[in-house]
Amino acid sequence: MGSTLTYLLPGGQVGLAEFRGNAAVPESARTDPFDSGMWPDHRRDFLDDPQDWRHDPALLVLTPPNAEDPGHVPVLVDATALDGPVDRIVVSIDYSPLPKVLVFHPLRALPFLGFGVKYEIGSPLRASVRMADGSWRMGASFVDAAGGGCTAPAAAHSRPDWQQDLGQMRGRIWPAFGRLRLTLRHPMDTGLADGISAHHLTELTLADDAGPIARLEIFEPVEEDPGLTFLLPKGMTGPVRISARDNLGYQFNAEVSA
Amino acid sequence: MILTRRQTLLTGAAAFAAATLPARAARPEYRLHPQEIASGVWLFEGATESFDPKNGGAICNIVMLASHEGAIVIDTGGTARQGAALRAFADQRLGGVAASLNTHHHPDHWFGNQAFADRPIHALPRTRRAQSEDAQVLADGLYRILGSWMNGTTPRPASQDAVAGEMTIGGRELEILALSGHSQADLVVQDRQTGTLIAGDLLFLNRAPSFPDADIPTWASAITTIAQIPASGYVPGHGPYHRDSRAMGQTQHYLSAMDARLRGAANNGLTRIEAMAAGPMPDYAHLGANPQEYQRSVIQRWREYELRALPILGQAG
Repeated sequence: MGSTLTYLLPGGQVGLAEFRGNAAVPESARTDPFDSGMWPDHRRDFLDDPQDWRHDPALLVLTPPNAEDPGHVPVLVDATALDGPVDRIVVSIDYSPLPKVLVFHPLRALPFLGFGVKYEIGSPLRASVRMADGSWRMGASFVDAAGGGCTAPAAAHSRPDWQQDLGQMRGRIWPAFGRLRLTLRHPMDTGLADGISAHHLTELTLADDAGPIARLEIFEPVEEDPGLTFLLPKGMTGPVRISARDNLGYQFNAEVSA
Repeated sequence: MILTRRQTLLTGAAAFAAATLPARAARPEYRLHPQEIASGVWLFEGATESFDPKNGGAICNIVMLASHEGAIVIDTGGTARQGAALRAFADQRLGGVAASLNTHHHPDHWFGNQAFADRPIHALPRTRRAQSEDAQVLADGLYRILGSWMNGTTPRPASQDAVAGEMTIGGRELEILALSGHSQADLVVQDRQTGTLIAGDLLFLNRAPSFPDADIPTWASAITTIAQIPASGYVPGHGPYHRDSRAMGQTQHYLSAMDARLRGAANNGLTRIEAMAAGPMPDYAHLGANPQEYQRSVIQRWREYELRALPILGQAG
């Protein structure tokens, strides 16, 4: 059944079912309902061209049907219903000037991630899950977009004091649901907007005294001021240390407890 | 702004369904259905839907008040062509145009200004500023959604500042209120002669309220202000003319239900996409333009709720 919390809102389960019913999802194991020319290339470039892969309806990839705000398109990848342990999850966008979004290594956390991306044009978004046995399970969802997400300057640059709260983190743990949500102030500049060089997070790690809990490799398409949602191991209340770094060498650290 | 980006992806089933729809006319035309709701008060009711090629963007209510100098036009429509159709009615039936007013800066209400630009067009100062700043972005989105309906549309911001208080045009006395909440500046007009109150998008009826520039507490207090004004009838920004407090009640309830839903979602650790996918509050699922408008609202307003639900973290020790 996965790990979504839509049932907490009145009518939320019916809403979720209808919402998913409107999306075109891969029906068969190896055909691409989006008939996307980039998909074979991305399997080759980002996943080392695996032969053992198939679409799996148990993998939930939730996106809106369209990019109301192309700088902040919310995505949820829930691989907790797959039959077996997950090694990593690679997220890519078929048609984007910067197609690779992130690589998620769940480690001790559950294979579940909420995040936001920038969108330039209408395109499928793919979640490719590498199982512990080396096989790959795929899911996809199409987002229509009118552009501007990757090539627009960060909103931060319209505020002269944006550097003051660079790296500021907010967060909270919900032990009842095992969720950790956090936001991190960062312009996430792609380098594609005129006159603004690339400045984006490259890595974020959750850890406690026992070592790393989960690790995230981050690329340019992740939204400005990223909001991230993780599922912690059962019963974990923290303190959880969050550490992140960006391509200019800045490091950001914070701690969150239930 | 009431934009729903249409899913351009046609699956097999959708393609089959599309074949059963009437073909779109080669040259789209706006068919007006004016009703005289009070003496000299003409209402052109918009479709209670989102922007769509099926409705040509004619989704908000337009009001014309007859005066000695011609029509006083309150909101001008969403495209140049819709504006031209409205202008033709004013010229043929009401003796031309005396002046126009734009209630706020969302494009369905003023992208028809071109057809009225030879006469004064009044709007609140913050509306005029937003019209100038946002016009290109809004127009790009609408060209994409409405296609040829938008042909020839060049956004023309209002030419004069509207001021709160009494205003007489062509001998017709108006009371102008400068409020806000649905947007940064929301103009409300009451016609003295008939008592009709033209509320702009501060009131919605049987159509989901839209939130792209909304501030919920400010909007709620604007409705409270409107509720204290004696009126013979109300024209909401979207939805039918009515003589009772229905739209005030419905809009007020929707605002608090929306606020409660987003607060509940953020405080329980839901992600933005989960709050969106859950769909509108069950009591309001049937409203025109839902669930799409609810989904847009979540995207537009989520960050505020998220910031309140997540405390600032200290540095790791």
